[in-house]
Amino acid sequence: MTELSQSQSGVRIEAPDAPPQRSPLYFTWRRFTANKAAVASGIVLLVLILMAIFAPFITASGPNDQTFLTARLAFPSAQHWFGVDDLGRDFFSRIVYGARVSLGIGLSAACFSLLIGLPLGAMAGYLGGRFDWVTMRIVELFSVVPPLLAALLLATVTHGGLWAIVLIAALFGWKDVCILVRAQVKSFREKEFIRAARALGASPWHIIWRHLIPNSVSPIIVGFVLAIPLAMMLEASLSFLGIGVQPPTPSWGQMINVGMNFMFFYWHMAVFPTAALAVTILAASLLGDGLRDAFDPTLKGR
Amino acid sequence: MLNFIARRTASMLVTFIVVSIVIFLMMHSIPGGPFDGLEMPLPDDIKSKLMAQLGLDKPLWEQYLRYMWGVTHFDFGVPYQSPGETVMGLILHAWVPSLILGGSGLLIGAPLGILLGMTAALRRNSWLDYVASAVSTLGLTVPVFVISTLLILVFAVWLKWTPASGWGEPKRWILPIMAYAAVPLATYARYARSSVLDALNKPFVTVLRAKGLSERRILFQHVLRNAAIPMVTIFLPMFVGIATGSIFVEAMFRVPGLGAYFVSSIDKRDYPLEMALMLLISAMFCISYLVSDILYALLNPRIRLDGDVE
Repeated sequence: MTELSQSQSGVRIEAPDAPPQRSPLYFTWRRFTANKAAVASGIVLLVLILMAIFAPFITASGPNDQTFLTARLAFPSAQHWFGVDDLGRDFFSRIVYGARVSLGIGLSAACFSLLIGLPLGAMAGYLGGRFDWVTMRIVELFSVVPPLLAALLLATVTHGGLWAIVLIAALFGWKDVCILVRAQVKSFREKEFIRAARALGASPWHIIWRHLIPNSVSPIIVGFVLAIPLAMMLEASLSFLGIGVQPPTPSWGQMINVGMNFMFFYWHMAVFPTAALAVTILAASLLGDGLRDAFDPTLKGR
Repeated sequence: MLNFIARRTASMLVTFIVVSIVIFLMMHSIPGGPFDGLEMPLPDDIKSKLMAQLGLDKPLWEQYLRYMWGVTHFDFGVPYQSPGETVMGLILHAWVPSLILGGSGLLIGAPLGILLGMTAALRRNSWLDYVASAVSTLGLTVPVFVISTLLILVFAVWLKWTPASGWGEPKRWILPIMAYAAVPLATYARYARSSVLDALNKPFVTVLRAKGLSERRILFQHVLRNAAIPMVTIFLPMFVGIATGSIFVEAMFRVPGLGAYFVSSIDKRDYPLEMALMLLISAMFCISYLVSDILYALLNPRIRLDGDVE
């Protein structure tokens, strides 16, 4: 009793240490770094991007320099790490410069997918009703048409080329972003703070732009990262069939196609571009999966 | 239920009609007409007479209706690349290799994938689980033509066990079937793992354990039946995707299937064949999605029939 009164009157009792406040972003980061595969693929992707940007500093020869005609089809050696291709070009330079094409198309197609899918998804989720119905029917349309066959057709009509491929990839990539954003916006639409904003007289544009899109950052990032490998796959597939990126621009898909013809005697022509493509696409999709699990642990393993 | 089926059917029908219009317009937007590339230019009056004979002078909507009328009778016209037969006949005989290879790939890949995914879910974080994750990630991310290249390199070039390509004796089917099996194997491994895990974590499993049921009965009578629903519903779309032939597998292994004909129809600007293939494959996708939606609703009575199935 005396102790209690003492403490009440005189000495201030220290409150127990409050647990440090940590942002959701911190936990996301923790979950992400706990996923070793995702971290590793993030690093691999970063290295590949740096390689693509600084390609001229990595390889001495340009991708189209034919200075090795005597060494045509030579196997890998200390001088030519990945050997020499059928036209006497250093294969390592071509692979490195091929990363520019592959990653460039992947990233820009993902940007365009976001540009189409984000506003459509946000508007469909928030406005609902007829707009939502029409958008979902368009999404359904794109899920019924086999993307590769349609892309093949479109690529022939447009005669290939870098930008045509970027646009085609975006045309079939936006729907995933749209669905992800729509689901998130729809679940936020009836939250109190949105109602409050509406009661204060905020316009739908204001609500979508200032409240809903900032709250949809995680599906947006996930959609963006997952769109990259899809676009790279499409580019490689079209180039493999000879209607994508046109030679002499180096593209891994195209190199695999050429390498197939030499495969029986010169294995390096097929193995290196195949490995480069597989590693890059694998890294991009593992990174996307890791980010998705980190942002929303309830989705893990789907 | 009937109401739900009717509404889904109507919605799919509308989707299909819109797809057919888009494909039709796309074909018509390709520059050049049937009499432009001839070595001797036709006089204008003959050309216009020919166009009238073929119905090409009619307005676009009438041409579309005429075409679709033919489609309802499975009349897709005559392919430019082999005028001796009809498009339908060509598709039917080209489908055989795709159906054999793709079908067996699916029938081998899907059960293996289910087995792998199931054991991975039951032995979580064991080496088998990691193998299953690796297989499903690799199979879903690495393009099919890369897998095919590796298969040819390993089994045909280095080990010399099988021929590299071709169509004919069953020995040549092994590699393409393996390539076809990769995607269903990976997809099913992933789906089976996640849906079995999902079902295992449900409260009803705890109740069953508390009741004293054996693990085996819990697994086979309760968990698997719940986990099977998503796996049943993805089967049909996957079957359509695989059994209509992969352009890449058929290009890599030189198989004269539907995919190969699709590529050649684009190369040779064979519009009737190209259009028929696009329409047929889209129609089959429409039907498979419709059927799996209905199956899903039938198998899972908890689903709300008034809302959209997502």
